[in-house]
Amino acid sequence: MKSIFLGIDVGSVSMNIVAIDDNAEVIFDLYTRTNGQPLEVIKKGLFQLRDVLPSTYKVAGVGTTGSGRQLAGVMVGADIVKNEITAHAMATTFFIPNARTIFEIGGQDSKLIILENGIVTDFAMNTVCAAGTGSFLDHQSERLGVPIEEFGDLALTAKRNVRIAGRCTVFAESDMIAKQQYGFSKPEIINGLCEALVRNYINNLGRGKRLQPPYVFQGGVAANKGIKAAFEREINDKVIVPKYYNVMGAVGVALLAREYIKETGYQSNFRGHEAVELDFEPSAFECSGCSNYCEVIKVEVNNKTVAMWGDRCGKWTNSIGQVG
Amino acid sequence: MKISFPYMGTTILYKKLLEILGHEVIMPPRPTRKTFDLGVKYSPEFACFPLKVITGTYIEALEKGAEVLVTSGGHGPCRAGFYHEVHERVLKNIGYDNEIIVFDALKDNFFKVLSSFFKIKANNSFAKVKEAIKTVYKMSYSLDKLEKEVTKRRAYEVTKGEFTTAWRKIKELYDNKVFTSEDVEKVELEAYELLNSIKIKEIPEQEKIRIGIVGEIYVVMEPSVNMEIEETLNSLGVEVERSQYLSEWIEFTLVPSRYSKSHEYEILKKADKWLEIGIGGHAKQSVGFIVDFYDRGFDGIIQLMPFGCLPELVAQSIIPKMSNELGIPVLSLSIDEQIGNANVQTRLEAFLDLVKSIKFEKQNKSNIISLQDIINRNRIANRTKEGIL
Repeated sequence: MKSIFLGIDVGSVSMNIVAIDDNAEVIFDLYTRTNGQPLEVIKKGLFQLRDVLPSTYKVAGVGTTGSGRQLAGVMVGADIVKNEITAHAMATTFFIPNARTIFEIGGQDSKLIILENGIVTDFAMNTVCAAGTGSFLDHQSERLGVPIEEFGDLALTAKRNVRIAGRCTVFAESDMIAKQQYGFSKPEIINGLCEALVRNYINNLGRGKRLQPPYVFQGGVAANKGIKAAFEREINDKVIVPKYYNVMGAVGVALLAREYIKETGYQSNFRGHEAVELDFEPSAFECSGCSNYCEVIKVEVNNKTVAMWGDRCGKWTNSIGQVG
Repeated sequence: MKISFPYMGTTILYKKLLEILGHEVIMPPRPTRKTFDLGVKYSPEFACFPLKVITGTYIEALEKGAEVLVTSGGHGPCRAGFYHEVHERVLKNIGYDNEIIVFDALKDNFFKVLSSFFKIKANNSFAKVKEAIKTVYKMSYSLDKLEKEVTKRRAYEVTKGEFTTAWRKIKELYDNKVFTSEDVEKVELEAYELLNSIKIKEIPEQEKIRIGIVGEIYVVMEPSVNMEIEETLNSLGVEVERSQYLSEWIEFTLVPSRYSKSHEYEILKKADKWLEIGIGGHAKQSVGFIVDFYDRGFDGIIQLMPFGCLPELVAQSIIPKMSNELGIPVLSLSIDEQIGNANVQTRLEAFLDLVKSIKFEKQNKSNIISLQDIINRNRIANRTKEGIL
């Protein structure tokens, strides 16, 4: 029986599952769009994994990350639940131990992580606005009628530079139309968008930070060669896109699960592929116990409450008692 | 005369002072979503978040029947000193014609303070006023001392929520049992007994993590507007101390500098190297407290500021240099009604991972210890706290 460790990254746009073996070799990776249905997609993903893996493998540890990490953690029975910044840094330092700067651009958030000797020393994350993230490009691709997958290659064919106002998704559109009137081609406009995204990213997140090579670029947007090229122009240096760039968060949390289980010797809490078929029903209610009016999240399976969180005082969290 | 006031920090102090002087106090409700909504609706859009929250608080207090509002003024280029003017106009526009009694700093406008003083003094003798002030002054020190204990010990509580409940009880104790300055000691003993009865986990000294919170006074002091950041950090297993406490504020702002034993003068001196002049608000204090927390061996700093707060933005721009030179990690969070809890939680968790890995690396000078090991050690400690079931 060989042990495998799962990492599940539930983000705003994609859900990724990665399985690594005892030697931290990636043996399965899956990148799917959530389409607003994270739970369904996790179920499907786990079945897909089961179909691919030989029966000699046993899931020895599971970790979850991303903005949906808590719910996903309850659903699969995670051993560790970790924020995506630490998870990404973990994966990057595993593959590229000397990395100093990580650009991570996902669907709705972007992160900049600064490392020193494999230790995170600083990070920044977008806060008030999603300009400079994958969703920005998604919207523009819809408007231009160019599939997002073709964006990068098209951008590379641009012959001239055009500057597009990319701070706001809405204003970017009017600027794009204006620039089209000036006679710029589609590839040039797309290239302009890529540069606007990078400019935003560096201005928002890189402010006051010293960026040093080697640079690593990951997250779903790293698939876009146009953005990679724009980054390289902006910082005037080579940018590395790792092999598993789009599932790095999941890889990181799988690595963390592996270390965690190895260190503690615990049995995994993993519910098994089949258990996931149970109907997990998350719901939220406003607690009226005090003036905090906390939004409490409750997860039920077969009308039995299995998890609660979101309350500040612990009244509901503690009401479940010690489980697992 | 039914009196109310802005809600900031341990509000029972203001209540106590007014009550001892025989005024009827209308307790402003603790700011909630509704308060923010009211404040945002009626305040100027580009005013800062504290002004908006206080607008909301005033409206709620007036709805509850308050007739007069008491607030502090202050000085310096930050707009906070001008809040009452804006509030008076905002309230007038919505149809409230109530008086706002302002206490500016004594050194700024002696006669105005004097006239405000006589309004609050009412028919009480000077001796009584003196005793009332003495009581509240002592109470503020006592409560702040206790609160520091709470935000320290709560990091290690065995049953989640015990310290928060105790802290609430302590405030009730002071409210119900303190009437003269002599009562303070007795009640304090009782409060300590309450805290000492709570079971805490034993953590080796070198594994304890201490975080200092600096920034603009209102968002630092009022938990309901900063998403209970102290409690959140405590629940992640770290000790917390703030830059601003009410007793400190009283000592620095209200007590004439000749008699003041405020710690803040020392803090301002510590800031000189990075920011020579006071630029308004609490920017210089924020900078000074970063140095102070560093000197006291804290492991990380969180800077809180209202979105768009100019003094704190200036401080924020100095921070990368300080952080680099002192070698202490700093996280800046800007707060307004738009802030999302999930985003803040993620950043706090990641920040604590960073703080811990830096701390443990320093202890392990061999540098063999990897990020994985460090994260894992913390994971084990935090396992139960993250709600994994």
